[in-house]
Amino acid sequence: MSYLLDPANWQWLITDRDVLFILEGFLVNLEIAAIAIVVSLILGLFLALARISTLRPLSLVAGLWIDLWRNLPLIFMILYFALAMPQDWREAYESIVPAFLPEALRSGRVLAALSALVLYNSAVLAEIMRSGISSLERGQGEAAASLGLTYSQSMRLIILPQGLRRMVPATVSQLITLNKDTTLVSIIAIQEVMRHGRIVTSSNFFGGVQAPVLQVFIFIGLLFIVVNLLLSRLSRRLELRERKRTGTTLRRVSGLEDQVAAESDVRSGY
Amino acid sequence: MSGLWGVLQEHFPELLAGFLVTIRLVAIAFVIAMVVGAVVAALRISPSKWLQRIGGVYVETFRNIPLLVLLFISFAGLRRAGVPITPWIAGTASLGLYTAAYVAEALRSGAFAVGKGQIDAALSLGLSYASALRRIVIPQAFRSVIPTIGSLVIAMIRNSAIVGVSLLALPDLLKEARIIQSRTFETGEVFFWAAIGYLVLTLTATVAFRFLERRFEVRR
Repeated sequence: MSYLLDPANWQWLITDRDVLFILEGFLVNLEIAAIAIVVSLILGLFLALARISTLRPLSLVAGLWIDLWRNLPLIFMILYFALAMPQDWREAYESIVPAFLPEALRSGRVLAALSALVLYNSAVLAEIMRSGISSLERGQGEAAASLGLTYSQSMRLIILPQGLRRMVPATVSQLITLNKDTTLVSIIAIQEVMRHGRIVTSSNFFGGVQAPVLQVFIFIGLLFIVVNLLLSRLSRRLELRERKRTGTTLRRVSGLEDQVAAESDVRSGY
Repeated sequence: MSGLWGVLQEHFPELLAGFLVTIRLVAIAFVIAMVVGAVVAALRISPSKWLQRIGGVYVETFRNIPLLVLLFISFAGLRRAGVPITPWIAGTASLGLYTAAYVAEALRSGAFAVGKGQIDAALSLGLSYASALRRIVIPQAFRSVIPTIGSLVIAMIRNSAIVGVSLLALPDLLKEARIIQSRTFETGEVFFWAAIGYLVLTLTATVAFRFLERRFEVRR
């Protein structure tokens, strides 16, 4: 306990550039998460549409695809893609990637990491979207049809705008999970916060002050806790606002790890 | 020997060993998660504001921190601080305490679903708070909580791979696959069988929990 609180062990926080170095790494994590969530949302939408399609084979294949990627460990996928990725893909990525992205994101291994993250998150988001869409009363679809709208028109104008709005809180929750998962890319030597943390703990890196592993990673943990707490507050607020607007929200989406329970906060008796 | 079946034949013992390590890791972590999760859930729904807050801090801490960071803190960090932590203790404790936060939330929603009126009624009949929990709330909450716990078990199976990858002396399924791959470079084949291993585990868990759901279904 005295080791934990000993000020000498926290000296590194104010010495030289240790903290800055760690924060630079953390920025890489956030950037990876941002890119992954955007691509996953687009891919997830297509997957969700395929899943709810009336074409049986398409729906079946989409379902199997989603179940496959949701059940495999993410770190397994990251490792496999990193090990199995052909050299030409890696080089293609490195030549395509825009120059304004930081150094850490320009390595070819980032393609492997992003592919794994996108495959997994698009599957999860597809399920969230499917829940959102199917939570709409059948009446909406039927009303649209009786007005003479085609399938794609009713999707575009009626179903998707409402259904997708309902899934925003769950999507923000998934973003929290995604944030945490970005640490896994350190396993394939991408220079993000975990790597930077380990570099800082190697003796006499910056300014000659010993930065102990325990303290450094408690600090990194706190970084994640703060960012994710803010995101979960946001998710809760969005869910309550949605409930006020429409009177219903998306109940639990089956199989999601991070479900921010806004309803438990509503003090209806307890 | 090469080719898909060849790889399986040649490396089956190692893959099986990894598979069993994974099962053991998840099983121990599951017990920890359920026990600690139940305690934290009890804190969260207790009448005392302070106990609620302590439970809340636990949940927010362990839900928002990445598992990998937790593993570093528990193994590398505590080791360097002089605490004698074995890889198994660090691995199972990290996975267990991490999942416990989710278990606590699941149990809490389950308890809410039962309804405050039931506890009030039980208390007015003269049952103690603990008795009311034990005889009235928990049996009912149990049923509604099964699906969520099921998905948490699957999450644990997936997260166990992180434990294996970061803690050196825990040769789980993914670790074994990596070791074999680094020796033979038959990446596709080895990882295929490791994937099958994980899918077998998650499929078994899914089927088992679906069975439990049906078994304890509320008959109206």
